[in-house]
Amino acid sequence: MERGSVISAIELALGEVLERPVSGLAEDVRLFEDLHLDSTSILELLMALEDAIDMSVDPEDLDMEDFRSVGTLTDYVLSQQAATSGR
Amino acid sequence: MTNGTAYTADLKEALTGDRESRLVWLCNFEVENQWARDYPGLPAARVSTTAATVQRMEELGALLAEPSDYLLLDRPLDPGYRRYVERLGLGAPTELVTRAPAGAGGTSAAVLDSPELLEHLRQLARKGARLMPMGNSLLEERISRLTGLAAAVPDAAVFERVNSKIYSRRLAGELGLREVPGSSCTTVAELRAAVEQGLADGGPLIVKDAYGVSGKGLVVLDSAVKAQRLLRMVDRRARKSGDDAIHVVVERFLPKRFDLNYQFTIDRYGKVRLDFVKEAITAGGVHLGHVMPPDLSAAQLDELERAVELLGARLQQDGFFGVVGVDALLGADDLLYPVLEINARLNMSSYQGRVTERFLRPGGVALARHYPLRLAEPLSFEQVAGALGELAEPPAEGGGLVVTCFGTVNAQSAAAGPFDGRLYTVLFADDRERLGRLDDRVAHELARLNTPEGTP
Repeated sequence: MERGSVISAIELALGEVLERPVSGLAEDVRLFEDLHLDSTSILELLMALEDAIDMSVDPEDLDMEDFRSVGTLTDYVLSQQAATSGR
Repeated sequence: MTNGTAYTADLKEALTGDRESRLVWLCNFEVENQWARDYPGLPAARVSTTAATVQRMEELGALLAEPSDYLLLDRPLDPGYRRYVERLGLGAPTELVTRAPAGAGGTSAAVLDSPELLEHLRQLARKGARLMPMGNSLLEERISRLTGLAAAVPDAAVFERVNSKIYSRRLAGELGLREVPGSSCTTVAELRAAVEQGLADGGPLIVKDAYGVSGKGLVVLDSAVKAQRLLRMVDRRARKSGDDAIHVVVERFLPKRFDLNYQFTIDRYGKVRLDFVKEAITAGGVHLGHVMPPDLSAAQLDELERAVELLGARLQQDGFFGVVGVDALLGADDLLYPVLEINARLNMSSYQGRVTERFLRPGGVALARHYPLRLAEPLSFEQVAGALGELAEPPAEGGGLVVTCFGTVNAQSAAAGPFDGRLYTVLFADDRERLGRLDDRVAHELARLNTPEGTP
């Protein structure tokens, strides 16, 4: 999956969680400080993301750094896909 | 010079039998995380978005502790805020600060890592002081053991037993109190059955961790798609770990007039007294704070008092004494649901007890709320007081404001770029209309502190 497609999928999942359209996010937008996600919406975001990109996400594998920004979450998704396709 | 208040002395008498007890307060917010250790809940990433803010909330203890008491902190109070607390006329406790700021284990773990402080606590123990944690867990018991400071509250095992939301549901059922439709689950199979049944019965569901705290460890399921996503995730975790345990409650999301919070105290001899009842205030579905007195009928208040008697007696039988906060709800149909969850520990409202006693006049109203701030850099207390102008003076003539926690304003300032702060307050006025105007005025004055930078 291309980086741009992953960001689009994240925007789609964020739109569902925040209940408003989300598009054109810069990679340095911060999920907590700028988009005001909290621990409850993080679980919803990951659940929505699983459907949007058809991959398994185990919340317990992720930590603070993965959620720092749109860019770091994109890095996480791409690394998971690389790991899965490399198996 | 301090003005006499009875709230904290009453609490000391209930806990220790002695109104003059000297307590070492440890305001360990989110002690639930310790109780939850053996009870896996919803899948959760290793993030805490509010850890730094919650850590600073321990400063709320400055207004509950008496001047003869001690307050354990992982960093000192802002000197400007301390002077402000003293100006309120309630006096301020002696601060006992850990060697280094707290890490993930909170102030309790930081105390355990501070040899000089432990020695100081041993000296206080020899003079008869007691440890007063917000809730007792293994960490605070270790402090008691190492220092000889006897806890003024029950032991950790009792706290753990009576603070589970599964215990709350069981008690409501056994005592015949009106229950929110739902069920308790301890395995993935039970969760699946409860969710499927709940959705078939109609309406959105809320799944809550047995030991979740203040808006964390919960998920709202408003569609079958979302329910399947969650069940898929917990199934996968169970397969991966070989353990199908999940300790949650599943409840119907009830249409409501408002949420309620009430507090009662059980003394060491089992006597129960209702401390207060508060009504939650929301705007556009967002929780703003609590107002008292609540808009309840005499019959509804009677019903709450009956619930308090039953709950108090049962908690006492189960080994608990001390402060109990209960979240309740008044349904859209005006039916009272007296037990959404029992928090048998100090609650946010407990910290406002002494301030409310001091400044709430007979027939008056009080609103406890925090004001969100969006800041570019840390603020001093003087800057906040400057923005508040005359509102920074102690309440007079039945109206005004008390800042109950200042440290939370700058708690998130380590973030690169603009950050969110919270100023905790209690507002006082003669009636709800004046209270609303005062609230608007405070919000307006504080807005001047915000950075103009927008949110993406």
